[in-house]
Amino acid sequence: MIRFQNVSKTYYNSKALDNLSFHVEQGKLVLLVGPTGSGKTTIFRLIIRDLDPTEGEISIGEIDVHKLHKSKIRHLRRKVGVVFQDLKLLFDRTVVENVMLPLEFSGVSEKEARKRAEEVLSEVGLSKKIEHFPLQLSGGERQRVAIARALVFNPEVILADEPTGNLDLNTSMQIFELLERINQRGTTIFMATHNDHIIDKSGYRVLHIENGFLKSDKKSTQKEAKKNEDPEKGVEKNDAGKSEKKVDLESLKQK
Amino acid sequence: MYLRTVARYIRRSPYQAVAAILIMGLTFLTVSVFAIITILSIRIIDYFESRPQISVFFEPETPQEKIESARQQIEATGKTSEIKFISQEEALVIYREFNKDEPLLVELVSADILPPSLDVKADVVTDLPELAQIAQESEGVDRVIFQQDIVDTLSQWTNAFRQVGLFIIFVLTVVSIFVILTIIGIKITIRRGEIEIMKLIGASDWFIRTPFILEGVFYSVFGALIGWGVSYAALMTFGQAGLQAYFSGVPILIEPVHMLIVLGIEVIAAILLGAFASFLAVLRYLK
Repeated sequence: MIRFQNVSKTYYNSKALDNLSFHVEQGKLVLLVGPTGSGKTTIFRLIIRDLDPTEGEISIGEIDVHKLHKSKIRHLRRKVGVVFQDLKLLFDRTVVENVMLPLEFSGVSEKEARKRAEEVLSEVGLSKKIEHFPLQLSGGERQRVAIARALVFNPEVILADEPTGNLDLNTSMQIFELLERINQRGTTIFMATHNDHIIDKSGYRVLHIENGFLKSDKKSTQKEAKKNEDPEKGVEKNDAGKSEKKVDLESLKQK
Repeated sequence: MYLRTVARYIRRSPYQAVAAILIMGLTFLTVSVFAIITILSIRIIDYFESRPQISVFFEPETPQEKIESARQQIEATGKTSEIKFISQEEALVIYREFNKDEPLLVELVSADILPPSLDVKADVVTDLPELAQIAQESEGVDRVIFQQDIVDTLSQWTNAFRQVGLFIIFVLTVVSIFVILTIIGIKITIRRGEIEIMKLIGASDWFIRTPFILEGVFYSVFGALIGWGVSYAALMTFGQAGLQAYFSGVPILIEPVHMLIVLGIEVIAAILLGAFASFLAVLRYLK
């Protein structure tokens, strides 16, 4: 799904990533850990083409991200849901307006966008707060809004950059469980975290980055193995339990 | 959707919005005032141009044959569009009409002391001096009055006034463009974070640019409506009656349809001006 091949990134004279290679398989939940400044956010920014690598290749599915024409970058970003470290919510818009925003970009009518946003907000447990402004919400609720916005396009992959940062343990676990539920429907989740509790107890594959190098790549554990046995892997289910076709990244190639 | 975003942007920085609207209002107030003055001057010049351009007055006892002879000489030049004979009786009717408010003057005058005359209109205004010369040399002619001087003087004044007006409008337009450009630029800078978020979640450049361009258009159009409204209100309240009294007998009434035409032109100009200025701002600040 997401493949880094000998990727390096240099900011001025400082190397943020050094010859990094890894592969996140479709439908998996993979954790990215490492100390502050180790290059986690750089990896996410490279995936959504907010940065260009100094060397190497990055692909999502069959798409070579850095060969995409500039005009297609926005299509890539609509198909990869991102939960940013600083959330990047618009504070003068209500919760539902924040979630509707990506749909409005792509020409979905306001009525349909609102309907879809309300569905997703209900999914993340915020159906009673859709008309609140982000500043009226708790940290965990804001995080859910950010997740809902990432989910609204029904993406194949969600990048979550420290979604549990600054949250208490209980709320962090609720957020992580929400991401797990999303993953169980077939969505690939690539999540950066500092949270030892999640790292130790989740049992998912962990990529450990330090100083731009891949220090370790712990293989799948009990949970992953169990997930790999799921016959409906790769197929999403909606609230009613019906299977839904996922967003096809192939369409980016054709555009 | 865009309009709601524009409304949000305006609500968030109302003082900038008021400043932009006032500047645009001032520009379009000036445009409206000069438009009104131009309409007035056109009507006044039209009035004088529609009047007989040469009035050839004969001695009161001049025989009809001599008047007819003078008429034929003038007509023979082939440069006239109309020649009308005004008899002494007709002159009395005109005199009475003109002095209807002064009965004493009307009582004192009878037809036999008024001169018969020929009212001559030329095809081309520049032929007036030649026609006047021929008329002057005709037998029985007492005096010749031609209005080219009045029209020329009015035209000169009007042209000078228009040039000054156009210069002031040009300066104000440039100032307005810079004001809108600066205000939209400030707004883009203030919203840099929001713009970055939109780009990161997949907004197209035009999705981000359009509200800013619409905002510039809004300031401009709203300013135009204010400028037009103030000028029209001032004309109706203070101007129209005073002008009519001053230009007694000259039909200078500005019809509402004229002002609606001015409004239409100003709104179109405002849309173009606002769009141009805010587009420049978007190009400059949203690379």
